[in-house]
Amino acid sequence: MGVASYDAIIVGAGHNGLTTGCYLAKAGLKTLIVEKNDWIGGAAVSRSLHDGWTYSNCSYVCSLLRREIVRDLELPRFGLQVIPYEGGATFTEDNDYFAYMSDHNALEREIARHSPRDVDAYARFSQTVMRQCRFIRPFLLRHAPDPTSLHPRDLGELAFLVKKAHGLGAKELGETIRFWTMSIGDFLDEHFESDLIKAHLAGSGIIGTGLGVYSPGTAYVLLHHYMGDVDGAIGAWGFARGGMGSISKALGMAFEEAGGEIRTGSGIDSFRVKDGKVVGVALENGDTFDAPIVASNMDIKRTFQRHVDPIHVPDDFTKAVNRFKIRGSSAKLNIALDRLPEFPAAPKDAPFLRGDLHCSTSLAELERGYDDWKDGRWSSEPYFDMLIPSQIDPTMAPPGKHMMTVFVQYAPYDLERGGVRSGQNWTDETRTALANCVYDKMEQAMPDIRQRIVHAEVRTPLDIENEVGLTEGNIFQGELTFDQLLFNRPVPGYSDYSTPVEGLFMVGSSSHPGGGVMAAPGANAAREILRRAGKGKSMPRFAA
Amino acid sequence: MTHEAVPIGLIPGPFHPRLEALSRAKGWMDWAGYMSPSVLDTAEFEYFAIRNQATLFDISPMHKYRITGPDALAMINRVVTRDVSRIGDGRVGYVMWCDEEGMLIDDGTLFRFSETDFRLCCQERMFLWLLDAAWGFDVTVTDESDAVAAVALQGPTAYSVLRDAGLDVGQMKPFDWHEVETDLWISRTGFTGDLGYEIWVPWDAALPLWDRLWAAGNHWGLRAIGFDALHIARIEAGFIAAGMDFQPVHAAMRLHRGRTPIELGFGRMVHFDKGHFNGRRALLKQRDGGQRYALVKIDLGGFKPAQDALIYHRKREVGHVTSGVWSPTTKRNIALAELKAPYGISRTDDLMAEIYVNQEGRWDRRLVSVTIQDKPFFINARARTTPPAAF
Amino acid sequence: MTDTYDAIVVGAGHNGLTAATVLARRGKRVCVVEKSGQAGGMARTVDYAEGARGPEIAHLLYNLSPKVAKDIALRVETRKLPTIAMSPDGKHVEMAGDTLRFADGTAHPEAEAYAALRKRLVKFARLLGQLSDAPPPSLAEGLAGLRDIGGLARLGLNVKRLGKQDMREFLRIILSNAYDLLLDDLADGPVAGALAADAVRGCWSGPRGPGSVFTLLYRLGQGGDVLLPMRGMGAFETAAKDAGVEMRTRSTVASVMVEQDQVRGVTLDDGTILQAAAVLSSLAAPLTMQLAGARHFDIEATRRLQRMRAKGTTAKLNLVLSATPDMPGLSDAQKAARLIVAPSATHVESAFNPVKYGEASAAPVLEAVLPSLSDPSLCKDGRQVISVIAQFVPHAPDGGWTAAQRDDLSKRIIQTLEVHMPGLQDLITHSTLLTPDDIETLTGAPGGHWHHGELSIDQLLTVRPVNGLSRYSFGVRGYYLCGASAHPGGDVTGSPGRNAALQLLAEGVLS
Repeated sequence: MGVASYDAIIVGAGHNGLTTGCYLAKAGLKTLIVEKNDWIGGAAVSRSLHDGWTYSNCSYVCSLLRREIVRDLELPRFGLQVIPYEGGATFTEDNDYFAYMSDHNALEREIARHSPRDVDAYARFSQTVMRQCRFIRPFLLRHAPDPTSLHPRDLGELAFLVKKAHGLGAKELGETIRFWTMSIGDFLDEHFESDLIKAHLAGSGIIGTGLGVYSPGTAYVLLHHYMGDVDGAIGAWGFARGGMGSISKALGMAFEEAGGEIRTGSGIDSFRVKDGKVVGVALENGDTFDAPIVASNMDIKRTFQRHVDPIHVPDDFTKAVNRFKIRGSSAKLNIALDRLPEFPAAPKDAPFLRGDLHCSTSLAELERGYDDWKDGRWSSEPYFDMLIPSQIDPTMAPPGKHMMTVFVQYAPYDLERGGVRSGQNWTDETRTALANCVYDKMEQAMPDIRQRIVHAEVRTPLDIENEVGLTEGNIFQGELTFDQLLFNRPVPGYSDYSTPVEGLFMVGSSSHPGGGVMAAPGANAAREILRRAGKGKSMPRFAA
Repeated sequence: MTHEAVPIGLIPGPFHPRLEALSRAKGWMDWAGYMSPSVLDTAEFEYFAIRNQATLFDISPMHKYRITGPDALAMINRVVTRDVSRIGDGRVGYVMWCDEEGMLIDDGTLFRFSETDFRLCCQERMFLWLLDAAWGFDVTVTDESDAVAAVALQGPTAYSVLRDAGLDVGQMKPFDWHEVETDLWISRTGFTGDLGYEIWVPWDAALPLWDRLWAAGNHWGLRAIGFDALHIARIEAGFIAAGMDFQPVHAAMRLHRGRTPIELGFGRMVHFDKGHFNGRRALLKQRDGGQRYALVKIDLGGFKPAQDALIYHRKREVGHVTSGVWSPTTKRNIALAELKAPYGISRTDDLMAEIYVNQEGRWDRRLVSVTIQDKPFFINARARTTPPAAF
Repeated sequence: MTDTYDAIVVGAGHNGLTAATVLARRGKRVCVVEKSGQAGGMARTVDYAEGARGPEIAHLLYNLSPKVAKDIALRVETRKLPTIAMSPDGKHVEMAGDTLRFADGTAHPEAEAYAALRKRLVKFARLLGQLSDAPPPSLAEGLAGLRDIGGLARLGLNVKRLGKQDMREFLRIILSNAYDLLLDDLADGPVAGALAADAVRGCWSGPRGPGSVFTLLYRLGQGGDVLLPMRGMGAFETAAKDAGVEMRTRSTVASVMVEQDQVRGVTLDDGTILQAAAVLSSLAAPLTMQLAGARHFDIEATRRLQRMRAKGTTAKLNLVLSATPDMPGLSDAQKAARLIVAPSATHVESAFNPVKYGEASAAPVLEAVLPSLSDPSLCKDGRQVISVIAQFVPHAPDGGWTAAQRDDLSKRIIQTLEVHMPGLQDLITHSTLLTPDDIETLTGAPGGHWHHGELSIDQLLTVRPVNGLSRYSFGVRGYYLCGASAHPGGDVTGSPGRNAALQLLAEGVLS
């Protein structure tokens, strides 16, 4: 068999790789996507690991997926349906709860139940956050300007930034600077008096990061989770019907309809480079393919530490890649339930049970969870973001039975055991111990949870790394800290999706604007690839 | 223990059993989470009752805050733009308050019990803001919103209704405020520009009050009304409404959409000589440097209500109508409109409004003349006469 | 009784004294009002016990602005001290400028990496240091209307001059955390520990906290040399007196007088009225607001000031010793160095953890100096004083400081030192502990925080002390903030004082 040749090859069929693929294929490039697993989707997958149940076993809810891309690629035509969820709650040790209600009046009454003063505080909090969302959203589908460059495109982007900032006015600009640099803990302390309400809202500031609620910069992380929308309701989150895999499935179908080809079952061995230019890929199964354009959907560490011979890149770049911070901080439990667990504190059929559920009741508790993680332990009182999508989506579990997804923070990648920190310390024993720790805490809300479990999949950061390919199991393909955002992402000088290897591009969440099932890095990268290929006009300009 | 779920959606207010019994139109709207009537029977007849008889409108959903303590006067004077020391005990004042940029947060009525005891009534939630403002002052701020019920009794026969209900308010001048009976306070205030009173009682005393007024009102043509009728009357009286004629700046996503009292035509309510108050430095700058907008009362040509119409100076768009109705009493096409400075201030001629009308499925565009008015559209001496006439 | 001045300065800390001196040297009649009997604020030299003297709180100079020194004709004799990073295994490391070697003189394997890192940091720090000598950029007209873009533009220009590589590196690290930055280049031992400790000294932050690179650079703004002021820091007071500043010690300002949004002077607690068209306060920003009264400020301003974060984490232990302690592994000259006990960056981070929950570190991070070894004037008869800054200590543990907790803290600090100074306990003849709470009582600094407010990115530059009040002018006309809660922040720099005085003059308050 001769070497098959393509216009472009994408390594990794995650949602960003698929998005890039869609745009390249639609622009007429003969495009191949290669994927190491036997299925596509990366971290946006629906897997059946227990007969009759479907797990969104990595990412589990949807909001950040850019609506411009959904519409442009006609994903609803390929079966994508996103259903907003109805609220959420944090359960306390003393059998009470704070419920986030989607009805505005009910929410005010619920907040007043805990603190009348915080009703006003919540209004102020949400105005501030929404103002910041309005400010940041236009930047998601633009490339981050390089302030060291005098290139007209970078200057144009900088001018756009300055113009947007100027529109804020002096005081608001000052508040914006503060918001972007402060901790979510300080931000919430400024607004609220109720510890429970603060704890409920704080989760969004730490999910997926190696930072604590009092680490500066976590208010931005909250924004990162609020800047999505479901049908224009900013900050709303929803379930993808059929699990997160339906996003990947729709993207895959759109890609194939545009003429793209997907090969699953063999991962990459190496990116083939000649004279500083990429010429194709060699797969683990021995297949090799030629292409002048190759895009990596893997994170930058995995791409360059494992699959590109360092001889092809400058030392400074290698150094920058090595110091890129991509820390595993979360684990995931996917649980099949024989019926809906009892929530003794909650009113019967409370709508907020069809949302995100938690058991962490103070910022101090969350911060202590972070301290544990820094020392290589999972949080002894872990924070979790827990949902039962089968209440809304009948496709996820057999009738009367339920599927539960539990995102757990913090769990280190390099677990400490006997003074040694290593990913290899994740064994069946430690995995079970972690799950038990989470169940103990879950009993705060659902005393019968252990009796309800039919099957559970426990995914440690190591498991996520091994299966999905995310370094250290970091869900964002790199920490969302200042030194790794905007023009610093993934490494300074390469925020335009290019790499020192000509023709090799980074299209995953390691690139601006970062992680979450957003598809923005994939789309932005596609635009850059097409622009360099002289096909810049073949992609629509998204309205700012 | 299972906690009772908080109710979702609208909940009944203190007068709800009576309102529900009277509601033929079943038109309810959300006012601070309470079911508030937009119309009970027919908006048109409800409106005419305001100008011809007497009307009852439940204003209990208004936010009410009590400010008490030795520093109450000083603290309130720091919040609002006008000099509250000039409002006497047992008097009510219309007040506005601004953020640090001079942008209006809300307007409302301030009821003075004494120098150390006030009640502020307004549309927007203001508890946290008042707590912020109280820091450093010896005062206590209490949210009385769900503790005090109130009903507005408005219209030319309002005084007679009260008299027949055994409530003597003959000597009360406009903006007076008295405890007429134990736990029953009456103010000669309102949102209609007509003769009228507002009656304030504890939440659980609401229904007996209603029944007492209702029994006395039969002879005087008393009607319960909804918001739609009031809306017409308040534009006739030239009163501004939050969310329509100005955007309360704390609720605005775009902060520059805020407006100052000067821009809303209330420069006379900004007392620069009383010492510092919130936004004073910014307002001073605007007073000296010029305003960006002017909210004006306008009289329009034609007969089509001008809500949301754009306003042009020759071919240039210079503003829009914020509230516009046909005025059934003055028989004029009236509106409040916001114009970009200098229009509405130094340039008031050659203004036209573009009104869109949908005629059975076809949109039509009318260009009509715009004349700026200085005074409220509806002015009637009966609103101020003391003691009031019987009708 | 009424006296009239051009300007009154509240508080005779080094910033208040600097502001007063700058004005007096330009011919203004200035009075400084200080509630305690001795000027100097946090930079005082006091009697520890029986004639043994030493620095009460601040003990070293490393961040003094040369512009300040010149403007107020400051005459301070200093001695440059090396830093010794104390190692648990006794292999202490000497850090002097860019050189790194073991205390015994042998080569250190990280000498090269350290030199490169420090050069890079000092280069960046000097850039930032330029911002310290002028008011922070104004946002008065939004970004496009940046009026005095001067400072920022100059910074921008200088950043550009760094060259692309350095500029990128600067923009990458400026908001990041010291822990990652240090451990990218150094092993996690006493050297990284000492730098990590420097990064967060005085702060409510561990080295893993984003923003700790900034605080590290802040200390290095003048090159990072550590100077011991001979005979203490009294030179600020001398400079003020030489310039003709009138000092009123043991006088407390009861309130600042305001009429028609204009400052008129101050009232002292004995009823004395001092009139002036300008009042400068070197107290922390919230106290400065309260001195005039909340009613003279916009509600947003008072709200922001109330919330300004100032949680002190730093205690001071001042000891008098009967003799120079034994320090195995150090020469006599090295004993006079700045001694850092911070075994690793991870250790510093772990030491920070408990303070978040109102508890003190079990194994505190220390910076210790024996100033009497360099400056024999401080004590006689072979006695020595040792001045120790200890982190992390809460401002107020749950239930407040008890005698037992204080004893326990002193013991922990002494035990931590004793690892490197065997027999220390037996040499102590006198001991004074200042918890952050004590420092607040003594100096008025909120939370006992030595920057008068956390030096975090959200409280810096244009938003320091708070959004809208960043350019020294403090709401009421003629009222100025000249202390550490103003830009650029704490440490003995004199910059807030000088900048405030110059801004006051530029705004024509006294003309």
